[in-house]
Amino acid sequence: MTYPVKGEHLYKHYKKQVVLDDVSLTLREGEIYGLIGPSGAGKTTLVRILLGLEKADSGNVELFEQTPTLDAFRSLGYMAQSDALYNELSAYQNLEFFASIQGMRGKEKKQRILDVAKSVGLENDLKKNVAQFSGGMRRRLSLAAALVHEPRLYLLDEPTVGLDPLIRRSIWTLFHYLKSKGATIIVTTHVMDEVAQCDRVGLLSEGHIIAQGAPKELTQEFGVSTVEDVFLIKEGMKP
Amino acid sequence: MSNLFAMARRIIRQIVRDKRTLALLIIAPLLILTLVWYIFGAKTSEPNLAIINYNSSNLLPAFKSADYERMSPLEARQALADKKIDAYVDLGHPVNVHLEGSDPSRNGLAMSKIQKSMQTVQQIQVKQMQTQLTNVIRSQQKAIQAQQQVMKQMTIALQQYAPSTLAALPRNTTQAGLPSGAQPGEKVQLDVSYLHGNSGLNTFDSFGPAMVGIFVFLFIFMIGGVSFLRERTTGTLDRLMASPIRNYQIICGYLVGFGLFVIVQSFILTCYIVYVLKIYNVGSILDVLIIVFILSFSALSLSILLSTFASNELQMFQFIPLVIVPQVFLSGLFPIETLPGWVRVIGNLMPIHYSTDALRNIMIRGTGFSGWWLDGGALLLFSLVFIIINIYVIRASRPLAS
Repeated sequence: MTYPVKGEHLYKHYKKQVVLDDVSLTLREGEIYGLIGPSGAGKTTLVRILLGLEKADSGNVELFEQTPTLDAFRSLGYMAQSDALYNELSAYQNLEFFASIQGMRGKEKKQRILDVAKSVGLENDLKKNVAQFSGGMRRRLSLAAALVHEPRLYLLDEPTVGLDPLIRRSIWTLFHYLKSKGATIIVTTHVMDEVAQCDRVGLLSEGHIIAQGAPKELTQEFGVSTVEDVFLIKEGMKP
Repeated sequence: MSNLFAMARRIIRQIVRDKRTLALLIIAPLLILTLVWYIFGAKTSEPNLAIINYNSSNLLPAFKSADYERMSPLEARQALADKKIDAYVDLGHPVNVHLEGSDPSRNGLAMSKIQKSMQTVQQIQVKQMQTQLTNVIRSQQKAIQAQQQVMKQMTIALQQYAPSTLAALPRNTTQAGLPSGAQPGEKVQLDVSYLHGNSGLNTFDSFGPAMVGIFVFLFIFMIGGVSFLRERTTGTLDRLMASPIRNYQIICGYLVGFGLFVIVQSFILTCYIVYVLKIYNVGSILDVLIIVFILSFSALSLSILLSTFASNELQMFQFIPLVIVPQVFLSGLFPIETLPGWVRVIGNLMPIHYSTDALRNIMIRGTGFSGWWLDGGALLLFSLVFIIINIYVIRASRPLAS
């Protein structure tokens, strides 16, 4: 078994505030890992450090079992909390650009753009300007941009925020499909019904991973009905 | 390489689809250039002048009534206060000039006009002296002739009464010719020749080439800076950082993408000032384009660098008074030779300074490559330094794998 992402003993602080305090995280190949926790817990920072966009004060990160290189990014799809799209361009041109810098060419690229647009339900809006997109459409296009080069590893920061339940469900169907094709996904989320769909979850609170495991095991271990309640127990409160 | 072109293609598409920016790039400079052309290229108006105390003066012919209104001292003072005239000349003894004085350029105009008239005044005075001298000479000649008459009579008398004494006298009576008459005074006029340019060269002719450089710098600075700033604020830079694209490919992609628009923009601007506004140009337009192209590299790389220190568009524009305005003033549009040394040193650190120098050499002095390679090299050096710093700055966005 290989480990697509491995972070060991990560520390990070901004000025006086400690954001990550000895966080270790190892993803197994082909799993969906949910990173949950209240806002400000350090989820985004952890994802960015695993990705190499930020440097941890100390600790070690490995992508595909080696120190990160540019080539590793070819197998990696990243979606940030912000939509990170070019507003002046059409949806197609956005996808085309992101596919190009990932090294895709010609007919393969074109076909792949159409496929990925279909999978997020934007196949009829490709010619539109991104500036005219609604918030949900932008979110889906942003996701499509992370998928377009068929990476093996996805780091998705709040991919479903602001989406209506119907689209959210179809997005999760997509995640399961990607998983079935062997992809590894780490996803941060607030939404609890999404937590149940993850293979494993990590509970991040104030810079610590306070609990980790399959959602069902966690609820059994702490004797509570939802993963949310695990937080309350850990904070010393009765659910 | 293909990543670089993907970047460039994206930037070109972004600008082409943003019609407003496109219009700003082309139309705004044309509009401002035309305005500047009218302001600096226009013929300066004649100063309004008057004279007083002219009745007793013999200098009056020097002050033609077409140029100088005749006024009484009281009228003149009032007119000066009302700004109806720029100056009046008091033809009393000595001659006095009174200026309105609030506008240095009008002062200069009035003074140069009055000084021209004063030259005529001097000619009049010289002529007066000449006529006086000729009168003196004539009266002396008359006296001499009278003496000669007397002498002839004496000679006749001597011939009659004592011819021997006459023979002893040397015969040195000269033909008293007229003294070489006062030739009509040679007109005092300078023969002026120009090494570069000609007498028709106006302020705009020397401003124009620099203006092209300034506009390209300004617009590329604004658009390029904001566009890279947005890359940071919208998070697309992070997405780029999480892809296999290399740092230099991002920066160079920007240079290539914007470079295309610089070529189009500077070509239109140059053709406009050369063929429509008919600015004085003896150089090759290709040379102009090369300089402007290199200049845009330094503008773009500097703006990308500064965008790192801005967190929104407003903060980006706050750099304009700091970066653009001093460059315009120290670029050589205005004479800087007399400024304190440290100011000139700052001027030498500014890219527009070199483009102005190079563009003037090309368009007014008509020098080829030999006239601008040094300036071009300086601009390239600027760009190179900024680009390298940029690549290192971006590296901070991808600390693990650079």
